[in-house]
Amino acid sequence: MNIDQLKEKLLAAVAAVRANHEVLSRLDSDTGDGDHGITMLRAMKAVENAVHGCRDSELKTLLMDVGWAVLGVDGGSTGPLLGCLFLGMSDGVGNKSEIDCPGLAIMFQAGLEKVQEQTKAQVGDKTMMDALVPAVETLKKASQEGQSIGQALENAAQAAEDGALATKNFQARFGRARNLKERTIGFQDPGATSMAYIFKGFARQ
Amino acid sequence: MVMKKFINDPNNLTSELLDGYCGAYSHKVALQSEKLVVRANPKSAGKVALVTLGGAGHEPALSGFVGEGMLDVSVVGDIFAAPGPPKVIEALRAMKRDAGILFVVLNHAGDVLSANMAVQMAAKENIRVKQLLTHEDIAPGADAPDEDKRGLVGCVPLYKIAGAAAEMGKSLDEVFEVAERFNRNMATLAVALKTATHPSSGVSIFELADDEMEIGMGQHGEAGTGRSKMMSADQTAETMIRQLSGAVQAKRGDRLLVILNGAGATTLMELYIVFRRVKQWLAEQGIEVARAIVDEFLTVQEMAGFQMFVAKMDDELLALWDAPCDTPYLTVR
Repeated sequence: MNIDQLKEKLLAAVAAVRANHEVLSRLDSDTGDGDHGITMLRAMKAVENAVHGCRDSELKTLLMDVGWAVLGVDGGSTGPLLGCLFLGMSDGVGNKSEIDCPGLAIMFQAGLEKVQEQTKAQVGDKTMMDALVPAVETLKKASQEGQSIGQALENAAQAAEDGALATKNFQARFGRARNLKERTIGFQDPGATSMAYIFKGFARQ
Repeated sequence: MVMKKFINDPNNLTSELLDGYCGAYSHKVALQSEKLVVRANPKSAGKVALVTLGGAGHEPALSGFVGEGMLDVSVVGDIFAAPGPPKVIEALRAMKRDAGILFVVLNHAGDVLSANMAVQMAAKENIRVKQLLTHEDIAPGADAPDEDKRGLVGCVPLYKIAGAAAEMGKSLDEVFEVAERFNRNMATLAVALKTATHPSSGVSIFELADDEMEIGMGQHGEAGTGRSKMMSADQTAETMIRQLSGAVQAKRGDRLLVILNGAGATTLMELYIVFRRVKQWLAEQGIEVARAIVDEFLTVQEMAGFQMFVAKMDDELLALWDAPCDTPYLTVR
């Protein structure tokens, strides 16, 4: 994957979230204040602006620009967490101008680790981690098995979607929903869902 | 519920409200970099600076308390949403000084994430800052872990205590010590009667039946300790003050600061009636209400309800509470 292809994938992720922002708000109004869809639209606008505005030819600069743009979104938890994902991906890509499947896995793993520096949330806590962690695990496995980038991302997107659906059965342990405790069971987590849409966009060919 | 508010484009709520607020009180506050509310007349560089962050939609909090004797900078996010790290680090850079910065953070997921990232960045830039986390909500239980307790209206009197200490020229360690002592001796409990709508989305932030109330609800509509049937003002007052008094371990002879903070749609009439029973109940326990405020400091749009706040005071805290301050929403001469 080179920089032009990464830009395409980022914009596809933007499109996937945009197409489903109302779903995100509806999910968020079940156990939150209903603004996750709006917040993600603003985050995606920031991603889009950063992608179009990036004059650099380096993968790491593009991802750094996207990360900082998302950090500036003023959307509560979403900004720092999603911003850290991209900043971590920037670290993970190093000075490469092109990445192969193993490089892709390393990039996303670094993104995940940067998010984990800021939060202790894990799979089962009903957060974006329920989609992100399975997706990254799938990418690592896919690269070990010699899959192509396209196949790896498709599998990762499926894992992210499965992870997001699974959050329905969990009790929220982080964020505002944690105050609702067992009342959150039966409702899908909006943060995991938006993360799944991001991977869905990345997987688009 | 149909939202009926005096707004324009919902995408411009925060920028327009900050414009209007700073325009109204331009002799005390100014808007910097779109999201930083700062003092119009900054304090001297030799004094500790006080910075805080938080979402909009709770006016007058938090920016209403920028001014002499209280906050130096309030970093504003979006409605009910914490600002991102870039604006927070900008505020810390703007307040960088040898005397240091006391950075007051309310315990909510977004605020904490953003604050932690900004403080990490500040350390790399040799900006001297001490973070103080407020978490005085006792809804999850007075003995619940701090991380489960939200930071509610208690930040406002804390800004006063810390701000007075800073204005006196105390060191960062001294300001932190007295602020943290106040932090550990305060408690808040909220009650909700009627919902509010999120002004961007128009979505009602919680549901309550006509005859229900919820004690312990958070300031964005997050759940509290559960619904119950409507109680009278006196019953509500007793239920809440009993828990709060216990939470700060108030005993006979102690002096309390009591604040009744309306959530936006509850009338002062109701708050006075509630306060009456609060003061009576405390007097029955031999506890003195040394200072009191009945007002709206931190609202939740048009939510009906209030936050009841108490703090156990000593001579030093009372002196700091009585020290002069000059902000748009709290002035002490």
